[in-house]
Amino acid sequence: MTETCFRMKGTTLTSIVLEVIDFEPDNFEAQLSQKIASAPQFFTRSSLILHLIKPLSATEFELLVALCRRLQLQPMAVKGEVAELKPTINDLGLADVSQSKFTDSVLRSQNPSQQATASNVNSSENNGGSQAQQSSTSAANTSSDSDASPSAVTPLKAEIKPAKVINRPVRSGQQVYAEGGDLVVTASVSEGAELLADGNIHVYGTLRGRALAGVKGNTGARVFCQSLDAELISIAGQFIMHETVKGECWKKPAQVYLEEETLRIEPLA
Amino acid sequence: MAKIIVVTSGKGGVGKTTSSAAISTGLALAGHKTVVIDFDVGLRNLDLIMGCERRVVYDFVNVINKEASLKQALIKDKRTENLFILPASQTRDKDALTVDGVQAVLDELKKDFEFIICDSPAGIEQGAQMALYFADEAIVVTNPEVSSVRDSDRILGILQSKSMRAEKGEPVKEHLLLTRYNPTRVESAEMLSVADVEEILAIPLLGVIPESEAVLKASNQGQPVILDEDANAGQAYADAVKRLLGETVPHRFLEAEKKGFFKRLLGGK
Repeated sequence: MTETCFRMKGTTLTSIVLEVIDFEPDNFEAQLSQKIASAPQFFTRSSLILHLIKPLSATEFELLVALCRRLQLQPMAVKGEVAELKPTINDLGLADVSQSKFTDSVLRSQNPSQQATASNVNSSENNGGSQAQQSSTSAANTSSDSDASPSAVTPLKAEIKPAKVINRPVRSGQQVYAEGGDLVVTASVSEGAELLADGNIHVYGTLRGRALAGVKGNTGARVFCQSLDAELISIAGQFIMHETVKGECWKKPAQVYLEEETLRIEPLA
Repeated sequence: MAKIIVVTSGKGGVGKTTSSAAISTGLALAGHKTVVIDFDVGLRNLDLIMGCERRVVYDFVNVINKEASLKQALIKDKRTENLFILPASQTRDKDALTVDGVQAVLDELKKDFEFIICDSPAGIEQGAQMALYFADEAIVVTNPEVSSVRDSDRILGILQSKSMRAEKGEPVKEHLLLTRYNPTRVESAEMLSVADVEEILAIPLLGVIPESEAVLKASNQGQPVILDEDANAGQAYADAVKRLLGETVPHRFLEAEKKGFFKRLLGGK
């Protein structure tokens, strides 16, 4: 008898993407150390994806990886201009993820108070990059001692698209799309109506129509509703129909999310 | 200021014309100068229900095309003071209605009348859209069955997006008129209840008209059913008219007449 030794699972991980715009070793190291010094706990031993904006030579690339490791960052994958570097990437034990789908967010606000963010980032693992971006910004904003030091990069506001809020019933034949963000409906959604959002969908009424969250591939998107009676629910292209939706959460408050390519329906207490 | 009220439903055969005739008669009986316009060009019916089919000389399309004056086309009701009918053309189709043409006629009518009732054709195309485009208020006629409710939902969506008020950002006041209501069949779950329909459509209830032989009889006699004071349907329409004029009137005929031991049926209020 052989016991199962392992299980294969998929996961989504929030990671820092280091965009290498111009690699000139000394200057690069200086700038990168300064950045890390601004929030050591956040950066130390964090996994890193290197995004090569310009092609690098094999030597330059090796130098870059060594430099990152020396600064306690852990490069794990490479994307961008990697065509010439494939053997080197292999030799260094990195993954080539240039073919994968990415939704990068901008991580810019930097100041010491961010040390609290490391845990936030971990807790939002499932929610894609934008969540990490939000939490870091809120940390920056709430800290009273953010002196906006001109030395490092000036803290910038994270580019969060406000949620689209609909305060009346969405009727049969109507279609509402929240581009680049969440969709909130404070009334019911009729059969034959369609909600689309790049982010999450919230319905504070009965959801009888169709709800498609994460239509541009955000697998972390979710659908929440006060009463689940949907014709169809889709997240990042994976969908379930009415027959499947009809379960224990039928006509009850529920959320739907994607887990390992399967949609899960969970009651909201 | 004249009020333009569209009587609409999406679905055909639910009682739009019967309701238009009854409500406009009711408004006129209450002393308000009222005109009812048949927008169902090509399938003229209102004149039959109003019992004036033999008096049609010029019609709505003639007025739009300036082939006749409004005065020539308006038919004065013989039974009811203050009531006028503007019949549809039987020989043209819905394309004869143009936004400018309809607006010109309505503007002229507004000078003389307090209420302008637009009897919409079925469907959601040109004719129906033209009937609702200028509306200040809408009476959505619905039968207690799923297809009618869904079509009403659809037409409510169109009211919110394609009416002139919607374009200006002012809502059209919506009323639900539930017709052909049979409480006995509701109790045996063959029909949707008032509560079911109200929950799905989420608009205020103007009235519930019980299913009644008096309606068919009245139609065939060319006499609006509201004039049949002995019929419950006539009384229900009279109540609805009072509500339309702002009175608070309790709803009647919502429950089956209880007969002897049938009282055991649960669900009574």
